Amino acid sequence: MPETPEDLHEALATAVLELDEVLTADLCNKAVALGYDAWTTIEQGLIAGMNRAGKLFDEEEYFVPELLIASDAMYAGLGILRPHISQANTIHGRRVVIGVVQGDTHDIGKNLVRIMLEVAGFEVFDLGRDVPAQAFVDRAVEVNADVIALSTLMTTTMTQMSKVVSILEEGNIRHRFKVIVGGAPLSQQFSDRIGADGYAPKAAQAVQLAKQLTGLVNAAA
Amino acid sequence: MPIVTFSPSGASAEIPAGGTLLDAARLARVRLEAPCNGVGTCGKCRVRLDEASRARARIVATRNLSAEQVADGFVLLCSTLADGDLEVTVPGSGERGLRILEDGVRLDLPLNPTLRKRFDAERRCTVVSAGERVLAEEGGDTTTRLYGVAVDIGTTTLVASLLDLGTGARVGSASALNPQVTHAQDVLSRVQIASEPEGLALLHGELMAEIDRSIGLLAAEARIPRRRIYEVVIAGNTCMMHLAAAISPEALGRFPYTPALSGHEHRPAAALGLHIASCGEVYFPPIISGFVGSDITVGVLATDLAAAEGVTLFVDIGTNGEMVLARDGELQATSTAAGPAFEGMNIACGMRAARGAIERVAIERDDIRTATIDEAEAVGICGSGLFDAVAAMAVLGIIDSSGRFTRKAETLPAPLRARLRPLDGKTVFYLDGEIYLSQRDIRQVQLAKAAVRAGIDTMLLRNGLTPAQLDRALVAGSFGYHLTTRSLIDIGLFPAELDGKVSFVGNTARTGAEALLTNDEARETLRLVTSRVEAVELATDPDFTKVFVAAMAFPAPVSPALSDAA
Ligand code: B12
Ligand code: FES
Repeated sequence: MPETPEDLHEALATAVLELDEVLTADLCNKAVALGYDAWTTIEQGLIAGMNRAGKLFDEEEYFVPELLIASDAMYAGLGILRPHISQANTIHGRRVVIGVVQGDTHDIGKNLVRIMLEVAGFEVFDLGRDVPAQAFVDRAVEVNADVIALSTLMTTTMTQMSKVVSILEEGNIRHRFKVIVGGAPLSQQFSDRIGADGYAPKAAQAVQLAKQLTGLVNAAA
Repeated sequence: MPIVTFSPSGASAEIPAGGTLLDAARLARVRLEAPCNGVGTCGKCRVRLDEASRARARIVATRNLSAEQVADGFVLLCSTLADGDLEVTVPGSGERGLRILEDGVRLDLPLNPTLRKRFDAERRCTVVSAGERVLAEEGGDTTTRLYGVAVDIGTTTLVASLLDLGTGARVGSASALNPQVTHAQDVLSRVQIASEPEGLALLHGELMAEIDRSIGLLAAEARIPRRRIYEVVIAGNTCMMHLAAAISPEALGRFPYTPALSGHEHRPAAALGLHIASCGEVYFPPIISGFVGSDITVGVLATDLAAAEGVTLFVDIGTNGEMVLARDGELQATSTAAGPAFEGMNIACGMRAARGAIERVAIERDDIRTATIDEAEAVGICGSGLFDAVAAMAVLGIIDSSGRFTRKAETLPAPLRARLRPLDGKTVFYLDGEIYLSQRDIRQVQLAKAAVRAGIDTMLLRNGLTPAQLDRALVAGSFGYHLTTRSLIDIGLFPAELDGKVSFVGNTARTGAEALLTNDEARETLRLVTSRVEAVELATDPDFTKVFVAAMAFPAPVSPALSDAA
């Protein structure tokens, strides 16, 4: 068992990365017992591990099952540590409204993107699937979102994405939101064509994109 | 305006400056692959530009092309814009010599066609009728001249047969490419195009013209006039049926995918552009849902699935992965959206089953051995080869059960180790010459096989059945025909319990359509059977995602000697 908080964080990150939910929970309980700062443990342990898993996923080394199992481990750990977060943490407070566009019910990819956005500290409002264009805009206005994230896996429903952009333009509120799009049949060209702010082919890259567009990291990073 | 010329065919087209090469290719009617419909994600529309042309082209994206290919002048048609005149070289077309499976199992039914001729001796004329309806009268005795055509419209290929309805014999058969392939590869892209009236007219027109051409060929070969053909039975997936009947498939492109036609109906052949007897008709068999069409229902007929005792799984392993589970006459159907990987699409070196495609991969002692179609030099890998290859890689421990390339390559036998080499910084597995599989390719195969397997498991689960309770599996369709039970099980698409219970029934869309031509009662029987089929919607099944994710894993290797290499 690790000796210092740093050792424990590293062991925790590794446990999440190696999909070991039992060890993750054990280590979190240990951190609580030893009185380690819960927020730092989440950040340096759970989230660091999940980000590593996300990176492997984007590189095709990990696949959907591994990413989901890693997130199960992370959420199990979060459940243990959350009640012990003491002072207000450094969450950046950026908000994302995400969903699968109308006409489509493929939501596995969207769910992965949501998980990774949550890991990165975004407050995520998940509207689910088969979501009308207007509903994205309404919700984004309501919660004063920074980003609208649209997902689809079907060629026939891609046009719904440009509909969201048009509704924003017609309401003169296009400038208030960054619109990002993703899903297997999409491409950067498509994103450019419909006037979205960005496209990402993979979950971890989607997070990077959201961070860039909301000024959390600069484009060069 | 720039002129784009395509070699070797020499076809050319003029397009506005800044237009894509794909637009030019379509205008010039160059036959090519553009599976993603020009979105720029599939990388299959690759062509080559010489240096001079490259200077006049704007290359927007080169997704899925290797650094080497880019250096060699390869570009994507859909992602390259013409600023001036261009010379484009189209590499060997994958569709040349495309393998088309024509035959399948058939049901022995008595000859009793819907179409009948009766000679009225008094009036010296022949009455043509369809069931109770009189269609026409012909002068003299023509009772021995009664023909029908059965057509199976596949998304990629068409198969047509001419039947002598006086004898029930098939007197000729023809196959052709579905001409719509030039506009869009997959079903949904065609739905997209045909959602606009002009698009519908275009896809309908081209399809029917091709069917009409096949009918002409069949008639000429059999030395009969076209007017002796009185009926055409058309089977196909639900989208193809809409396109054949000139009905907008728009609603098939969005949830809940409600078809605008239900089948078991007649249309005048002339109105659909078919030149047969002037009273001739087209019969569309019944369909089940937006993604389970009449190619499946007639397959149910051809295999007599409703009469099968015990538990039978009928599955068409292909892009849409339709399946029917039959339990002592109770039928449930669904489609599992496997995707185009089985057709070699979305796979770096993937291609259709044509000359030079690796179609078989076998394990041979410490190595693998490949076989190509026509024993030609390997130019790519088609679906059946892909299946074999990934199955072998799982069995040999080249990939672990999660599908990841082994991180203990050093424990592999030397010949296999030598096949794992880096390409553009990532390890790939070389099968034959330049043909390889990448980690990304394996992931695509996992999605596809997991979709079908999850469909099977979900159907079993809903019925409280275990895989061991399956009495048999019938694999229909041309792709499935080229697979082996071994690979299906090794890859995990079929549960191991199906070993010894699988039969490959072939193109039952065709044989089923033929049965409908030659036996009238079969139509009513099929209508009844179809109306009782329960359409299962996987998208709303609460367990589907879990089952799907679990199905992505590969089963533990059966070969113990090598299993610890993974
Ligand atoms: C699983 C699946 C299903 C499941 C869906 C389960 C679910 N709850 O999602 C089921 C079986 C229900 C299904 C049904 C259908 N499907 Co389906 N399905 C698939 C399949 C096999 C895998 C999709 C998947 O989950 N991929 C894995 C995820 C992780 O990848 P992803 O979604 O692309 O997400 C990643 C990125 O794109 C990105 N991303 C995703 N969203 C976002 C958003 C943003 C903002 C950003 C930045 C990034 C981003 O990050 C993710 C992680 O890296 C594909 C075929 C294939 N081999 O890909 C077909 C496929 C998508 N389906 C297809 C179709 C047509 C259907 C059906 C309409 C018809 C049919 N043939 O059955 C039905 C009905 C669907 C319905 N009712 O809504 C087609 C679409 C064709 C096209 N050209 O549009 C495909 C391609 C298969 C085919 N036939 O060719 N399907
Ligand atoms: S058609 Fe060009 S990449 Fe798919």
